[in-house]
Amino acid sequence: MEAVVASILLLTVGAAVSLKSERGAIWLCVAALALLLVVPRIELLIYSMLIVAIALINTASLTVKRNQISGVDYSLVALIAVATIYIAYTDNLAFILAAFVLASVPTYALVMVGDKANVNVAIKYITFMVLATVLFLIGSFLLFYTKYYTSELLYTLGFVMLILGLGMEVGCAPMHEWVPDVFTAADPLPVSVIASITKIVPFVAAYKILILTSNSLTAHLTLFVAFIAVVSMFTGNIGALTARETSRILAYSTVANMGYVMTTLVVLSSQNYLYLAFAGALLQLIVNAVGKASLFTSIKVDGTSTPLMYLIAMSFIGLPPFMGFYSKLFILMSLVGTGFVWLAFLLIINSAISIPYYVRIARSLARPTIPGRATTIAFVASVIMLITVVPPNWFVDVATSLIGGV
Amino acid sequence: MMEYEIPLLFIAPVVCSLPIAFAWVHSPGTKWAEKLAYLSVFGLFISLVIALHVLFTYPEQHYTIQWLPEYNINFVFIFDYLSKYMGALTGIIAFLIGVYGLEYMKGDYRLGWYWFFFNMFTASMLLVVYSDNLLMLLIGWEGLGLASWGLIGHWFRDDDEVSYVGIVGRKVGPLNMYWPPSMGGWRAISTIRAGDMPMFFAVAAIYALTGTLNISQIQWGGLFHMIGYGGTVLLCVLFLMGPFTKSAQLPFSEWLMTAMTGPTTVSALLHSATMVAAGTYVFMRVSWYIQPWTMHHVPGVEVVYLFVLFVGLISALYGASVATGCRERKVLLAASTMSSLGLMFGCAAASYWFGKFAILVAFWYLITHAFAKATLFLVAGHLIHATHDRFSHGDLALAKKMKIAFAATIFGTISLVGIPPFTAYWVKSGMDEVIHHIAHEVGMVPLTLLVLTSLLYSAALAKFLSQNFIKGGSDYHLHLHGEKLMPLAYATMVSMLAVLLYQILTATEHVAGHFVEMGYISSSFMVGLGVTATYLIALYKPSIPSLSKLGTFLSDRMEMPFLNDYIVPGVGWIIAWLVGLGNSAIDWFCHRGIPSAFNSFSRSIRSIQIGYLRVYVKIVLGFVMLVIVVSAMGWW
Repeated sequence: MEAVVASILLLTVGAAVSLKSERGAIWLCVAALALLLVVPRIELLIYSMLIVAIALINTASLTVKRNQISGVDYSLVALIAVATIYIAYTDNLAFILAAFVLASVPTYALVMVGDKANVNVAIKYITFMVLATVLFLIGSFLLFYTKYYTSELLYTLGFVMLILGLGMEVGCAPMHEWVPDVFTAADPLPVSVIASITKIVPFVAAYKILILTSNSLTAHLTLFVAFIAVVSMFTGNIGALTARETSRILAYSTVANMGYVMTTLVVLSSQNYLYLAFAGALLQLIVNAVGKASLFTSIKVDGTSTPLMYLIAMSFIGLPPFMGFYSKLFILMSLVGTGFVWLAFLLIINSAISIPYYVRIARSLARPTIPGRATTIAFVASVIMLITVVPPNWFVDVATSLIGGV
Repeated sequence: MMEYEIPLLFIAPVVCSLPIAFAWVHSPGTKWAEKLAYLSVFGLFISLVIALHVLFTYPEQHYTIQWLPEYNINFVFIFDYLSKYMGALTGIIAFLIGVYGLEYMKGDYRLGWYWFFFNMFTASMLLVVYSDNLLMLLIGWEGLGLASWGLIGHWFRDDDEVSYVGIVGRKVGPLNMYWPPSMGGWRAISTIRAGDMPMFFAVAAIYALTGTLNISQIQWGGLFHMIGYGGTVLLCVLFLMGPFTKSAQLPFSEWLMTAMTGPTTVSALLHSATMVAAGTYVFMRVSWYIQPWTMHHVPGVEVVYLFVLFVGLISALYGASVATGCRERKVLLAASTMSSLGLMFGCAAASYWFGKFAILVAFWYLITHAFAKATLFLVAGHLIHATHDRFSHGDLALAKKMKIAFAATIFGTISLVGIPPFTAYWVKSGMDEVIHHIAHEVGMVPLTLLVLTSLLYSAALAKFLSQNFIKGGSDYHLHLHGEKLMPLAYATMVSMLAVLLYQILTATEHVAGHFVEMGYISSSFMVGLGVTATYLIALYKPSIPSLSKLGTFLSDRMEMPFLNDYIVPGVGWIIAWLVGLGNSAIDWFCHRGIPSAFNSFSRSIRSIQIGYLRVYVKIVLGFVMLVIVVSAMGWW
């Protein structure tokens, strides 16, 4: 806890220093991130390491090309990382919501920067984010309110608003309209952050809030979650299938991935498979964060090393032994175990539909291997994708430690 | 002795033909390879010796070689009246034709192929003849089919018009009325397969229902009782599809006519003791043990035998009529063969009413016909060889140069058509008597068909004799090469008819003795006189120009080629077209339908991205409001 406060202080200093020295800002960010590795529980260390790695990748992406707020942007990424790690510690609604907002707001500034400031896109993005945040917050309040004043109507409304807010925040269909526009029109470098680390906090927050407030009604409402998930999967995958622009394909791929993660929320009512489902969701979010960060950076530099691109694409497709395989495996196992066989079946179909466009992405970004920052990022991403060569049973423990105390 | 003899009977011809087969692959056309044909004929000789040994020394018995005893499927050989005579007949004819072939096939371009299939043909027939087990019989049966395909299409290059059937270039409507050897082979195998498949099912059904495949051990009466009227008729008709196609009964007769595209030796073997005879032989063998004359109370059996009686006799009349119109040497003989096979079927089927003797009559007719027809084919082959013409042309001047052929033809024809007192007269008298006797049960139609067939048959063979040696004109070019083996072979062959005649007249063979009694019956004698009269008339006037239109209709085989070459393929093409339609529907669905559906889905999903925030906000807020309202209304 103290480390978090310290790292926030460091970041503030870093942002100030950046006015004078960009290099100093970067070092302060790295120091802040390193402080985050001081964790109270050892199980959280792996989670923190992964998040810090993602944050470093995102920071590295931003250094590929200078932008209007160079220096401050690193602090913003680090701030999101602080929120992402801090949400693991807390079961307090106020802190959860604070982390939610903290992970979201820095991107309002990031979306605008780039080779030329893009206010038009920023307006779209911020409008959706504000709507999403409002819905999420109201939903959370309603849900917590029903803990003290039991009301089925309020619980239902709270649940629905929370899911709608979550869906809008991460880009689930049919609230995904901002995703293709922002991902294609904005500069790829800030998008590599927006499509990456920011997706984790909303889901963790939703998991924590829903578990904290769950009651007998939750099982009935999961059908609504399944609906959003299925629409999202199909919209994302079919939309990406014939899209031409690489960034547009990635935008729809994000919609599909958020659909996959959303499916795990139907397992909420089952105590037996909850941790497996959350492990799958978290793993899928990490795959998405690492992969998208690397791919968007590659778009900025017009392609990187061929084998690395194909490796990342194969991980997204879900081939063993890459991380993308195990994330989907965990999700499918939890779905089948809970009795949502049809949902598992649809997920598999969607995975099959996704194969052509991932191969297309890999092909369009495949270039000869030239040492450089983008290549390094892709390499690090590939290494992270490959850590599941050891079958990640251990990751279920990590996931359990994250939401187990709730 | 037996345990060596029996396998050798079948293996020797095939093994002895392998050297020339391989030699021809290695160095085709060389002198030393051609010499290996003698070894091949030696293999046929071994079979002949063993078959004769079986005929003269073996008692009536079974001999079993274990194969799959746990399934009750073994190599079961049966040595009874039918198989002993039939085996010897096959052995003699195959050997004589083999000797003939040594000279006839000299200089051919693929002797390895020829001798291998010729010997395999013989071995397969012997397997059919001696087997009591239906599965084993089917192995021989399939060997016959395969070998017939190989031999009929032997001259697969289709480069010599002498091997064609029909007038080259002639068209009737959409059909080419001429068939090259490759087509002949295809027609044979396709027709036979069409009949074999139902036969397989019938055999499988018999095994499933009775647990045994040994013809002599199956409880036929019990089987027919078990499956009832419909089952019996279905089973028997399915089974008979095999014999009917093999023996070229209507409507499966076309392949036999175009089988003449093969070498004449093949035609001779095919039409006398093997292949076509196999169909009737199997019917006789099965009837021998079904004993239909004891089954008058069993449902369905009478219908089956009545069916075979009429199919046989109608085919017989059809074949004889077509033969009278034919101008090609071999096709005339082929049509008359079909007629004879029909008579065999009809007479054997009469056993239901007449008893076992009817089968014996049919069998003796088979033997007589085999020797006579083999002789005539060999003579026709010699004529084609010497004149390089497959149409009947020849006068007395030719007859003088080919005296042995002329004499063999005279004796062969008069012995076969039933002119008293030659061989077939006595057998035919038995047949007349059988069919006459059953007129109470089946009416006069069969007898009428039989008599008409006999008259036309006689005319057809007299026409063959007259047009080839007496009145066929001098439009031929004779090139005799001093052939020795060929006349020797058919002279020996035709002399076998005299042996048969001797056996009948002296009653040295217990069955043959009965024929003499029947030959003395006046109605038989009347038929004999009629046959003699038509024979003489046809001999004097082999062609009637005023009836040439009828003759063309007959030599076009009453337009039966349309069924075989037009209607059946038409149905096949319709099926192929329908299947193709289904294929292209699947192709369209997979290659066009699914991709274009995904394409348009994909497009429509992206089509809402028009870039206006107000539109997006409307969509999203509309959805949010809808969901909230619906949940507030208590949709759970």
